[in-house]
Amino acid sequence: MRHFVTAVGAAALALALAACGSTSETPASGGGSTAAAGGKVGIDFPRADSDFWNSYNKYVPEMGKELGVDLMPPTNSQNDIAKLVANTQALVSQGAKAIVMAPQDTGAIASTLQSLDQKKIPVVSVDTRPDTGKVYMVVRADNRAYGQKACEFLGEKLGGKGKVVELMGALSSVNGRDRAEAFRECMKTKFPGITVFEEPTEWDGTKAASMLQTRLEQNPDIKGIYMHAGGVHLAPTLQVLKAKNLLVPPTDPKHIFVVSNDGIPQEFAAIRDGQIDATVSQPADLYAKYALFYAKAAVEGKTFQPGPTDHDSNIIQLPNGLEDQLPAPLVTKDNVDDPSLWGNQVK
Amino acid sequence: MTESAVPDSLAVRSRGAGLKLGRFRDLTLVPVIVLLLIVGAFADPVFMTTGNLMNVLQQQSALALVVLAEALILIAGKFDLSLESTVGLAPALAVMLVIPTSAGGFGLDLPVALAIPLCLLIGAAVGAFNGFLILRFQLSAFIVTLAMLIVVRGLQTGITGGKSLFALPPSFLYLGSATWLGIPAAIWITGVLFAAGIVVLRFFRVGRALYAIGGNTDAARAAGIRVERVLWVVFIIAGALGAVAGMLETGRLGGISANQGDGWIFMVFAAAVIGGVSMDGGKGTILGALTGVLVIGLVENILTLKGVPGEWKNLVYGAIILVALMISRLAGGKAQD
Repeated sequence: MRHFVTAVGAAALALALAACGSTSETPASGGGSTAAAGGKVGIDFPRADSDFWNSYNKYVPEMGKELGVDLMPPTNSQNDIAKLVANTQALVSQGAKAIVMAPQDTGAIASTLQSLDQKKIPVVSVDTRPDTGKVYMVVRADNRAYGQKACEFLGEKLGGKGKVVELMGALSSVNGRDRAEAFRECMKTKFPGITVFEEPTEWDGTKAASMLQTRLEQNPDIKGIYMHAGGVHLAPTLQVLKAKNLLVPPTDPKHIFVVSNDGIPQEFAAIRDGQIDATVSQPADLYAKYALFYAKAAVEGKTFQPGPTDHDSNIIQLPNGLEDQLPAPLVTKDNVDDPSLWGNQVK
Repeated sequence: MTESAVPDSLAVRSRGAGLKLGRFRDLTLVPVIVLLLIVGAFADPVFMTTGNLMNVLQQQSALALVVLAEALILIAGKFDLSLESTVGLAPALAVMLVIPTSAGGFGLDLPVALAIPLCLLIGAAVGAFNGFLILRFQLSAFIVTLAMLIVVRGLQTGITGGKSLFALPPSFLYLGSATWLGIPAAIWITGVLFAAGIVVLRFFRVGRALYAIGGNTDAARAAGIRVERVLWVVFIIAGALGAVAGMLETGRLGGISANQGDGWIFMVFAAAVIGGVSMDGGKGTILGALTGVLVIGLVENILTLKGVPGEWKNLVYGAIILVALMISRLAGGKAQD
């Protein structure tokens, strides 16, 4: 099966290469700064079944209009690397001069990136950083900072001691790993008095609810929860806490401090109600905006240097390209009503 | 009752095992459960508390209902993979018909009281459609329900736009989150449905008919059993049970995510098969399937209590299921099928 898929993929790649061999020179030679209108941008969405990515998918056409990007109809790879490869080939054969993608499998995308590079088609990778293969720009929030911020917030609220449950994402995803590692490191160095229970929920609400319920039964003195993704972990966590009568305001000594990641509207509502305490807002709008911004710049032939940018972020050098690390603000009761947060702009 | 007593013992004997061994087969997992209870008690002092064991039952109640549904279908010699998708679609679609557009609904604003009946109806409808394709259209149950697994999940992703539904009517969440007489309602409901399943399959003519059909369809037809009609009803009941499972799960989680139920079917088959239900039809009991669910729930619970690292959890989990299979094979003394 695997061989079959690889063989078909390789055959399709070879075809695509052959078909585009003659045209691939044109954008490279004629791609001056005047070619803004001429370059179509192809985009692939990674999935359509999570709240965060749905918001991103919705922002893309809006931001495309705003930035004046000639956007092709988006494809969707449904979290499947084989579909992403096929979609990329389709986009290229339809004349895309730059590709925006969000490869959820950062290793298996390498050969696609290589073949795109040979065709001189720049790639903007959103949310994930491909392991190898050339990328024009990675647009991504610093996921390590999520873990770091969550750790600092919880550590401070708990006064450096007590027990904390961490509802982790899938360890096969670089973002889940980054959050977990940063959280672990920060807890170990800054708050050694805090015990962390790591629960491998694999972005699954059912597992999260069972694990949290069991852990609370075992350790009724748990005082903090860190959820890697509000989209999947929020509802189950609130339900478990409610069943245990632990959904009380922060002033109550029984209150369990909850920090989330994502920044979806439901998390903001829970913060306003005092049910959870903070979330790190993963900027869906900025992801869409800067993905298209860099795709357009790539078509226009612009280049970027490592260093600070004009939008509060930092470009860093990777072995295979550049990465723009977008800011991800910590949202608490104090700034939850800030209209610039994307979670307050949806609907 | 007196009428069915004769075919009852006949059916068991015709399995070639004799009444005693046939009964014993239900309970081959009991040593495994005892072993798990002992291991669990040593692993963590919290394990043996009522609170924890109650949690295990509550956490497994939705899965258990899908296992019940699958066991009925397997015993009748058919297959249904699409049940895991029904667990997501039935509550999602039912809720979307009653909640306002602002909360992600269709804007039909049907009375909230209809949500639960609608949910059951949708599950039954999926089952009926499966039955139509398999029985009237004469397609392979495996392929039909595999396609339906994708179709039903796709329908849910399509209508919800992939979003989770958060703003649900409290009455819809009630059954999955309420507590009756100190025990979660989900456990009561699951317990009652299992008891009904055990009694019907053991003592009622229609229940015995499932074994007859699963064992030898032609013989069952010759014996005057209306095979198609019985099977169709089984598919419809299974779909409705999937919907109940979805409702209990929704109540437990407080929201419906686009992937609710996703991947369950592997656990469902594992539970049914280690519980002694044959994939070839005609063999196994509901009680056996229940012990399979318990084994899976206890393993899950012990792994969580011990804090097995995420990277290794699936390996340990799978290995324990294999060991459970081997123990039940040794205890049962018969070749697995």
